[in-house]
Amino acid sequence: MINTSFSRRKFIGAVGAATGAWLARPLMSLANTAPASRVAIGQCHSYATPEVVDALARMFDQLGGLTKLVGGKTVAIKVNLTGGATERIDYQPVGVTHWTHPDVLGATIHLLGKAGARRIRLLESPQATAEPLDEFMLEAGWNPQEFTSAATKVEFENTNYLGWGKKYSHFIVPGGGLMFDSYYLNHSYEDCDVFVSVSKMKEHGTTGMTCSMKNCFGITPCTIYGEKAPKDEPAILPTSGRASLHNGNRQPAAPAPPEINPSSPREGGYRVPRIVVDLVSARPIHLAVLDGIETIAGGEGPWNTKHKLIKPGVLVAGMNCVSTDAVCAEIMGFDPMAARGTAPFETADSMLQLAEQKGLGTRDLKRIEVVGTPISKVRFNIRTA
Amino acid sequence: MNLDSKWVPMKWPCGPLEVARRNKSQTIDTDLKETIEAWGQPATLGLLKGTPINCLIVEWAHGGPEDSGQQQALKPLLEVGRRLGISFVGRIEAKDGLEGAIETGRAAGLSAVLLAGPARESYALPVIQEFPRDKVAWETTSPIFSVTDNVWPGVGLEAMKEDTVMAGPTGAPWVRTNGWFSLLGHELAPGKTLWLDFDPPDSSSLARPAAYGLAVADSEAYAGRWIISLDDKLRAALPKGNPQAMGIWAKLCESIQFFENHREWRTFKTQGVLAVVSDFRGDNAFMSTELLNLITRRHVQYQIIERAQLLSAPTQGLKAIIWVDKDTPSAQQLSKLDTFTRQGGLLITPIYWGPAGVKPYKRDPSIPYNVYNVGKGEMAVPEEGFLDPFQVAGDTHMLVSHRNDLVRLYNPGTMNLLSDIDQSHKKRLIHILNYSSGPASSVVLYVNSKDHLGRIVMPGTKTPLTIHGTAASPGTEFKLPTVADYCALLLEGSNL
Repeated sequence: MINTSFSRRKFIGAVGAATGAWLARPLMSLANTAPASRVAIGQCHSYATPEVVDALARMFDQLGGLTKLVGGKTVAIKVNLTGGATERIDYQPVGVTHWTHPDVLGATIHLLGKAGARRIRLLESPQATAEPLDEFMLEAGWNPQEFTSAATKVEFENTNYLGWGKKYSHFIVPGGGLMFDSYYLNHSYEDCDVFVSVSKMKEHGTTGMTCSMKNCFGITPCTIYGEKAPKDEPAILPTSGRASLHNGNRQPAAPAPPEINPSSPREGGYRVPRIVVDLVSARPIHLAVLDGIETIAGGEGPWNTKHKLIKPGVLVAGMNCVSTDAVCAEIMGFDPMAARGTAPFETADSMLQLAEQKGLGTRDLKRIEVVGTPISKVRFNIRTA
Repeated sequence: MNLDSKWVPMKWPCGPLEVARRNKSQTIDTDLKETIEAWGQPATLGLLKGTPINCLIVEWAHGGPEDSGQQQALKPLLEVGRRLGISFVGRIEAKDGLEGAIETGRAAGLSAVLLAGPARESYALPVIQEFPRDKVAWETTSPIFSVTDNVWPGVGLEAMKEDTVMAGPTGAPWVRTNGWFSLLGHELAPGKTLWLDFDPPDSSSLARPAAYGLAVADSEAYAGRWIISLDDKLRAALPKGNPQAMGIWAKLCESIQFFENHREWRTFKTQGVLAVVSDFRGDNAFMSTELLNLITRRHVQYQIIERAQLLSAPTQGLKAIIWVDKDTPSAQQLSKLDTFTRQGGLLITPIYWGPAGVKPYKRDPSIPYNVYNVGKGEMAVPEEGFLDPFQVAGDTHMLVSHRNDLVRLYNPGTMNLLSDIDQSHKKRLIHILNYSSGPASSVVLYVNSKDHLGRIVMPGTKTPLTIHGTAASPGTEFKLPTVADYCALLLEGSNL
């Protein structure tokens, strides 16, 4: 299904700008110097495979190409597969509502493969289950073969537990965390050279918006961060979700450290944005791909009460997750510079602001070079769409 | 008079024996006494007019002083009922004087008697044997046999928090069904009719009636037969013509009539990609029956093969076989299983008995099984044997793989489904059962065939609803209308 060719131009982007420059800096007052990176926008009005591949290929070219980033490398892709595999919004397949669409994922895999990726690992920690990731996809009606045939050596791993690893990988948040100083994650987040977040572009009930950064909330294994994880050691298999990360009603299982400030607010709008920023600091995103061809307004999944299926017809990609998500916020009709109290952050601290303060990247559109389709051509108001 | 597999049975509690039973359990009051009396009156038989209910189960003898009074009191009911074409089955608990009680029953016009446990071969009346679920004498059951200790279908109390359905240990709400047991009955007592004896919850009321339609569907879809049993409040209200009660009764009868109109469905064969092989007896009973219970909840499509029937059982269409028992197969059984594996099937067994020298691999770290390549197929053996049925069910489900799903539900809530096919393989029927107390909406049914036109049938609708499916490779998805407690999708064609 995925078969196209395109010319690659010389790699000119600021690959990895977000991943290293800030590491040794102090936490505060980095907003003005947070790295800026190019963000590509493409219009795409259908999930017909060639159209998606062409659009993404053009966008990756506009970013400077992927060869330098992934050539000969192991690439890990965190896919946005929130909720259960058989839970749908109305009658709609998950890919057009709250999951990354399989054609966007397939096209990304294909283009990474064409750019020379040696191995591509698809990762997700589906809530409360250790079932094999390809089984989870099959249950949702996806065909994992479409991914394995899109590039050479495509693998799947459910990262909700130890998986194929012998031990959890320890990720320290550079410069100290906002919620936790370090995180214990499945080995696949360490055993990769390049980390890609492929997410749906949508709102989020807790954090205001889901884009490439929020997608990484799901890299936390429920064996450690789940509500029913043991205290003294990780569970062997996950049996519960991540509500404790939202409400702070317990600390993670050892050896994960407890939170830095146990007297901080026990409130999702405070906690989740900070955890997200911690995670993308500790496990930096090299490439962010956002699927806004079709999505939902009104929340992030079937459990939100009011949804509307919308068709923005847009794809966004960038090599700095903060800048990329800031562009997405603007496309959805929000002000990426907004602070808590202003849409979409009415009840949450802004992940964009926290990440910018951390020095991960700028959210200031004046500093972000947008290439491809201008924002004005694709901007819509997700609240009134 | 012989036992009639077309009987639609209903409990008809009345007379002095019922009063004595209620006195004993201290559940009687004036109203209930009145109700019991009313149901002993022939006039109450008018409720059955126009319904398919044609067989009433009455208490006949308990071996106590009330027996003769009971038998006297029932005379008018039996006389009128027989004139209306209704058959009566007398339940006898008496150990002593059994033959006398049966003879009295014959003289009074009973068509059969219901006796607990195995019975000797000949009595003055045909016998329907009654067993607790775990003590069925499968080999010697009567042509119709009744089983107690069933569940009232629905969502288990363990899954409810106030009115909200909570997730159960499977990750899915804890559905209570007798379906798997009916399928087991079919396999272990082929050609015989299984009556399921279970009563509505005591908490049932006219305002919140028991799920009678579901009780019918959960029995009939799996080719069992519920002995209809009404709750006290409904039984009290019906003889008085209470409109609310009459409405509940009408809906119940509508459900029964619906399945009576589709009796041919009982000849359809259950489709499965997994065969569960066991003798389902003795030490093997717990693991094998719990496995059936749990994989039903997981929507695994399975067939049951009694171990002794394995050699004659067709394996066409099967993707996997699980041999549950600790006993090793016979040489012939081993040969058949080996052939199945070598031709590409997956064999799941508690210990490895495949060829020596094969190095196992792990399919996934979450599945603690050693997998051996044998011919074109595989043998999967748990690292520590079959210990916990819950674990075995989950692992088996993953080993069989969603890749082989024949049917699947999206937004399944608390639903189950069962795929049947007719002998000619030209009609396929997918039963969909909703165990929730509320209707299920936005449900999508995936079927692995490519027919894009289906008909939805359900109790209460006279004309089938034609629905168009959409391609969802490798099969088709159908958007179902709102499902109250049951509907079925009927597919007809050559691509089934």
